[in-house]
Amino acid sequence: MDYLIFSFSLMLVYIGLAQLLHVQFGLLGIPNFGVVGFWGLGLYGTGVLYVSYDVPLVPAIIVASLIVAVVSYVLASMVLQRSGQAILAATLAFAAMVATLVVTEKQLTNGVQGLGTIGFPFGDLASRNVVYFGVLLAVVVALIWVSAKLRDSRMGRMMIAIRDNEELAASLGKDTAGTKRTVFVVTCALMGLLGGLTAPLHQFLVPYHLAPSLTFAVWIALVLGGKSHNLGAMIGVFATFGLFDILIETYAPVPAEQAIMLPNFKLFCYGVLLVMIIMFRPAGMLGEDRPRHRARADAAPANDTAVKEG
Amino acid sequence: MLLIDAIFIGLLEASPLILAAMGFTLIFYLNGFMNIAYAESITFGAYFAVLFNVVLGAHFYLSIVPSMLLSGCLSVAVYLAIFRPALNRGVGPTEMIILSVGVSFMLRYGLILVVGPENLFLNEPNITYMQFMGLGASNLQLVALVLVFVGAGVLYWMIYNTGLGEQMRGLANNHDLAMASGINPHRTSVAIWFIAGCAGGLSGVFSGVFAQVTPYMGWNVILITMLVTIVAGIGSVRGAVIAAVVAGVLTAFITLVTKPLYSEVALLMAFIGVLTFRGARTA
Repeated sequence: MDYLIFSFSLMLVYIGLAQLLHVQFGLLGIPNFGVVGFWGLGLYGTGVLYVSYDVPLVPAIIVASLIVAVVSYVLASMVLQRSGQAILAATLAFAAMVATLVVTEKQLTNGVQGLGTIGFPFGDLASRNVVYFGVLLAVVVALIWVSAKLRDSRMGRMMIAIRDNEELAASLGKDTAGTKRTVFVVTCALMGLLGGLTAPLHQFLVPYHLAPSLTFAVWIALVLGGKSHNLGAMIGVFATFGLFDILIETYAPVPAEQAIMLPNFKLFCYGVLLVMIIMFRPAGMLGEDRPRHRARADAAPANDTAVKEG
Repeated sequence: MLLIDAIFIGLLEASPLILAAMGFTLIFYLNGFMNIAYAESITFGAYFAVLFNVVLGAHFYLSIVPSMLLSGCLSVAVYLAIFRPALNRGVGPTEMIILSVGVSFMLRYGLILVVGPENLFLNEPNITYMQFMGLGASNLQLVALVLVFVGAGVLYWMIYNTGLGEQMRGLANNHDLAMASGINPHRTSVAIWFIAGCAGGLSGVFSGVFAQVTPYMGWNVILITMLVTIVAGIGSVRGAVIAAVVAGVLTAFITLVTKPLYSEVALLMAFIGVLTFRGARTA
């Protein structure tokens, strides 16, 4: 039971990361391939502050997220105005740097031996992992709700304009570079926040957690679900992490000799799924949802069939 | 003395990287996207060498050429089965990269499901260490170095001096114009993907014999290959060679003065820095 709660909590973290990636890539068009770097910096930042400096958990998470914000601001001002492929390579390189530094900076992170232990908050509660699951759920629901609101806002329309044609948006006098930087920094800091929130789940942090496979799992989930649909991240994580890591690994009757190959089989299936979806349904399972424009609905409610309410 | 050591070690270590960067650049140049699945050309090259060298018992030097050619065929097969249909459908560059990640996963974990996740070793030919002006290297490393430079030279000559190279550059720069002048885009693309696959395979054979053959060996060098290619500028094969050599020498130099792990960090930082200051000429 505890294991199942752990799996579901981790699934929420994945949904949260994929949702933030949806804002970065699906709405704004920034291909961030360093998700694990921002998340991992939050994770290890929280861990180091909590274990080595005895900072309580909540302030530790906040400070770690702020560190991620500063680092992502520096990275953003360096590469965000380059082409998509350059951003992709730079963020990938950033994640590799974080993973390497965690191993080298032994006096802070304890290197490959691991850093621990980070306990759940709500110290004396018996079912504190369930309560913690509730906290994560609230955070992720809030992320999904806010990103839906963001998409329908003025800012969201500007983000979509930047994604589709940045020169055009800039020529209309919009501050495209500033918008990109602000949104990137905030979403990266939130990835760091999710990393900090993951620390009590793992309890014991090892550099293995920072392997690039997390970035690819989140990307695969988002692309599968629908990168520009607000619920695409959630559906995608259900179809990948939920299906393979929870349902199959917990319930499928696989003999022990073959169980060791299960993760490889899973990643093989991810690859096949990803190829199929990009070849046959590039917008993902859910496609792109139409933003609801409140102002237009007020002006001409009868003409716009996409408007259901408000 | 430190500098000469760094240049020498760097060249030896960078020799597989030079080939990989050149092949990666060719595809990047021709089709305009970064093919992450190129990592599997490298990995499969090494596994084909294991097939010839260990399973079939051929001499190592004899198994180099067939593994290289098989790797090229695999690259063409992947291109025809997946990348060409996707390009024809008008998939954008970022989506093409994600697609190539999917292809890479499919090939790599398919390979693991078939041959298992264990690390394998190639039967090395007799290794003798040689001394030359105080610098030591094994005969194998020197053979690799010579072969890499011959391969790189041939590739370079092919791109800048032959009809195929001209056709490729024409297609990359203006697809419609190239087609109007009678260039068959299909034939040229197949040839380029074959050559790129061969270069990756050769790179994999050498990385495999220097260390070991693992399913992740291509994946582990693809990031550095990607960065080398981007820093070199889109599809500049000349630039890719220079950037790969510089990356190798730089890594060797930093490794000599500090811890090896820091050299990786410093190299990555240097790359991000170059991306920042290259401005408009960057990809």
